[in-house]
Amino acid sequence: MKVKVRFKLNGASKTDEIEPNQTLCDYLHDAAGTTSVKKGCDTGECGACTVLLDGMPVTSCLVLAPQVDGREVVTTEGLGTKSAPHPVQQEFVEKDAVQCGYCIPGMIVTLSWIFEHAPEASDAEIKRLMSGNLCRCTGYLPQIEALKAARKRG
Amino acid sequence: MKSFQYLAPIPAFDYAAPRTLSELFDTLDGHGKELQLIAGGTDLMIALKERAVAPKIIVDLGRLSKELGGISVEDGVLRIGALVTFFQIESSPFIARYANALRQAAANVGTLQIRSIATLGGNLATASPAADSAPPLIALGATVTLLSRSGKRSLPVQSVFAGPKRNGLRAGEIVSSVEIPANKEVRSAWTRSAVRNENVLSAVSVAVASTIQHGRFGLSRVALGAVAPTPILAEKATGAMTGSEATTVQAERVAALAAEDARPISDIRASAHYRKRLVLVLTKRLILQIVKESMAP
Repeated sequence: MKVKVRFKLNGASKTDEIEPNQTLCDYLHDAAGTTSVKKGCDTGECGACTVLLDGMPVTSCLVLAPQVDGREVVTTEGLGTKSAPHPVQQEFVEKDAVQCGYCIPGMIVTLSWIFEHAPEASDAEIKRLMSGNLCRCTGYLPQIEALKAARKRG
Repeated sequence: MKSFQYLAPIPAFDYAAPRTLSELFDTLDGHGKELQLIAGGTDLMIALKERAVAPKIIVDLGRLSKELGGISVEDGVLRIGALVTFFQIESSPFIARYANALRQAAANVGTLQIRSIATLGGNLATASPAADSAPPLIALGATVTLLSRSGKRSLPVQSVFAGPKRNGLRAGEIVSSVEIPANKEVRSAWTRSAVRNENVLSAVSVAVASTIQHGRFGLSRVALGAVAPTPILAEKATGAMTGSEATTVQAERVAALAAEDARPISDIRASAHYRKRLVLVLTKRLILQIVKESMAP
């Protein structure tokens, strides 16, 4: 039985009739067109599907799509645009903080949250806060450098 | 193979998101075991994907945050709503003041993404022997309020745990809130051991709470996680600590008794022998830590 959802996706109101047995991750990637949302482990471990739900980073593979009714979802597409990127997005480009790229949209979502909500966080605290975003290419240092550069950029 | 099933969609179910408690209890009345509640969903979603549960209907508590949310202090009681997330616990000044052990445990649950949605009520209702919120709550003497259409009842936290992943709730009952005595004199601390620091289940977790005055422990509790079918109050350790002298020798004695209280099994996270040893080391560490804090100016 389909259920009706009304929520905000990247700032725009969206209404949809959806089957409840899908994850928010699958819905966003396959139906809503926000293909930055990547399915990695599908068990809440890797963080590739991280989105902001009412302003908090969550692994969208652990959220049922109908749970977003009445709430607000932001993916990395909603953080900035090509001409006006989020400071964290811009510094990922500057610092070349990407290799294969699969973890990057989720990681940018988490780092944008740290940028906004933990501007004083030490390196150790940054590492604790980003421990839910696994990257098997880079070793994380370029992303931490990008966050710090974004803080300077403001 | 579990992993193959992740590729297939979760089998279909109906979904309801009641907007009032009475609507919720109507829905609960109409269904039995084929119904699952969802709060944060971090445990349920995995169980759905692993086909460990196959509900006909999932009832979302998310619309009831007014009734089941919020952190408050009133008449000497710290009340935490069932839908409060671990991130909210980690960030709450009330909890930092009155329930330090719970704050420490909350900050170490899963990852930021998990803490953002996983709820205290869900952690208790899932009833994992390794539930990280349980040892701090037991040490702090917390009670859980259960709500049903016929009214409320209160249970000590350890009584909510009936067995591994089995809770003591009756049909038609939900976890509504957790109550902790709000006493600034109580010092509490929590720690755990696990194979790594982040995003991992505890091999052993320990919480200690006590008032320390004039070199003696007042009412004290030692609680243990992941060393028995449910989180437990370490009874021998608790009995020996309360009213005793706050010394290193006594800390060692209480810690040795806590290891006797533990009834661990060997599994992929640690052997039974190693778990007992960890209980001793962690309990002693925590007791010495709160004693040291009590002596700081």
